[in-house]
Amino acid sequence: MRPDPDSRGPQTWRWSRLAARIGTLALAAIGVLLLARGVAASNAAVGLSDASGDGLAVPRWLYVATGGAAIGASALLAGFVTDRAFVERVHEWRRDAGAGDRFYAVGSTLAALLGVVLFALVVYRGFTGPQLATVNFAVVVVFAGGRAGLTMAAYAIGNVWPALNPFDSVGSRLPNGFVDYPDRLGRWPAVAGILLLVWVETTTGVTDTPRALAVAAAVYGVVAVGGTVLVGGDAWFRNVDPLSTFFRFYGRAAPLAWEGGRLRASLPAMRLVEVDRGADAAGDERERTDGGNVDRHRLVTGLDDVAVAVALVWELTFSGFVTTEQGAAAVRGVVSAGVPPIAVYALLFVGGFALFYGAFLLAARVSVRRILTTRTSRELAIAFAPSLLVVAAGYHLAHYFAFFLSLSPSLSAVLATPLSAPTNPIVLTLPAWVSALNIGFVLGGHLVAIWVAHSIAYRLFPSRLQAIRSQYPFVFVMIGYTVASLWLISLPTATPAFLG
Amino acid sequence: MTDTHSAVTAGDREETPSDPSDRAASDVGDSPEYVCGDCDRRFYTEDLLVLHRGVAHPNALDDAEREAYRKAYAAEERAIRSFRIRALGILVALYFGFLFLYVFYAS
Repeated sequence: MRPDPDSRGPQTWRWSRLAARIGTLALAAIGVLLLARGVAASNAAVGLSDASGDGLAVPRWLYVATGGAAIGASALLAGFVTDRAFVERVHEWRRDAGAGDRFYAVGSTLAALLGVVLFALVVYRGFTGPQLATVNFAVVVVFAGGRAGLTMAAYAIGNVWPALNPFDSVGSRLPNGFVDYPDRLGRWPAVAGILLLVWVETTTGVTDTPRALAVAAAVYGVVAVGGTVLVGGDAWFRNVDPLSTFFRFYGRAAPLAWEGGRLRASLPAMRLVEVDRGADAAGDERERTDGGNVDRHRLVTGLDDVAVAVALVWELTFSGFVTTEQGAAAVRGVVSAGVPPIAVYALLFVGGFALFYGAFLLAARVSVRRILTTRTSRELAIAFAPSLLVVAAGYHLAHYFAFFLSLSPSLSAVLATPLSAPTNPIVLTLPAWVSALNIGFVLGGHLVAIWVAHSIAYRLFPSRLQAIRSQYPFVFVMIGYTVASLWLISLPTATPAFLG
Repeated sequence: MTDTHSAVTAGDREETPSDPSDRAASDVGDSPEYVCGDCDRRFYTEDLLVLHRGVAHPNALDDAEREAYRKAYAAEERAIRSFRIRALGILVALYFGFLFLYVFYAS
């Protein structure tokens, strides 16, 4: 047993418990308060203040600053919770969800079958279905189903992609593993793959041309199955395949997961806290190169994984930016100066990613300099990167929740009759308050991320004050991300310039 | 991925603890010379090592170490109390700052 310092006296114990309670309560209260203000601000921003009787016109800079301050204030409040035992109880909480091997075997067989059928239908209907985005099976299933729905399910419930994955189902049944995957590439191919997929999504018109989507899906399928055959399914889907990496990272935030052959529930996002207190970086590194077992359970083991996490945050910010009127106007402005549109987008896309990634690494460096620790900035970046996934989940929800809701009737219609176009496609028109939820999603993601970072810091540092101080630079980066994202969702949307 | 995780050189690090909680600047050496006997992790100050052993290897402590851990923990508790007061000050300033901003700019 650890000598419990809190047993020194009941008073100290009670005080820290009380502080923890007050801290959490105040965090909740301030969060709600600031959210309420933010909502009013958003209505003003989208020009709805006239519609509500007592509308409050808040200037956009104030609304954005309030969001940033909410993050800063909640980071300070998280610092009030200094009871190690409480922090640990929160993220180590597990419940057995009551499903074992049989369920897993039956479920994964059915899911694998479903995945292959869906993939075949996407390609087939993409070519043969009506060339109209809103009714075509391929477009609706891939974007409303996969990009929005399945991703939301991955971080809100549990990741089912490994079971669905049609490329794995096919590839692993073929003779495979002819070449050893070069370990020095790490997960960088997946980073490039995710960025490439987002690039294809925004620039090549796969979202509104079913035939183009079918071609892209078929190419992806051929590459994925080919890669599986070449280096083996395990290496391919862990290191290269962008979709598997995408879902694996989001899935880590989910409350449900298979642990040791059982379906187990944790508090949402708390499985992201994964620092082994005893193990140091050298040990982790050994595990990794030896392909050891510890590595299997860890999500982020290198800077490549940090890049994946940042890419997930950045891609949503990017697609948010180019689909706003201001973003489109900015792109038009640069293009009118004589730069080709694609080059502008490419520069914006890669440059913005580099900026986000650099900011995160810089935060790690500043953090190491500010506190007395022998941990390297690389270690810190790797340790804190999982908290970014909650941020990404919040952004994803803000960008896709309304989209998914409004297209869900279409999705069920095309799934019900995959081989014929739905005769009467319905797209729901959502009440205005649904879009106001977006601010809650963005801020909520950041707030949970701050708690995750707080828990991680407590596992990293022996001194609790060090743990608190280590997070300041990261909090500033988070404030930057929040400000950017809140600003984007307050802007009127438009079709991206030149991409139509 | 061949980053030198072990190359913690003292040169690239400034020993400027501004916070009272960062232990007195005088007992901070140039290199992390306090080594944990159980996991070889190095620390800059003895207090950090004591806290580390108490948190990470609670079962390996002898009585003297246990006592030292308690002392370090209590000292840290005092430092945390001062952090709480300052944090509360910032929160109050933020709250009233934004209150006035909203009074002036939101109409």
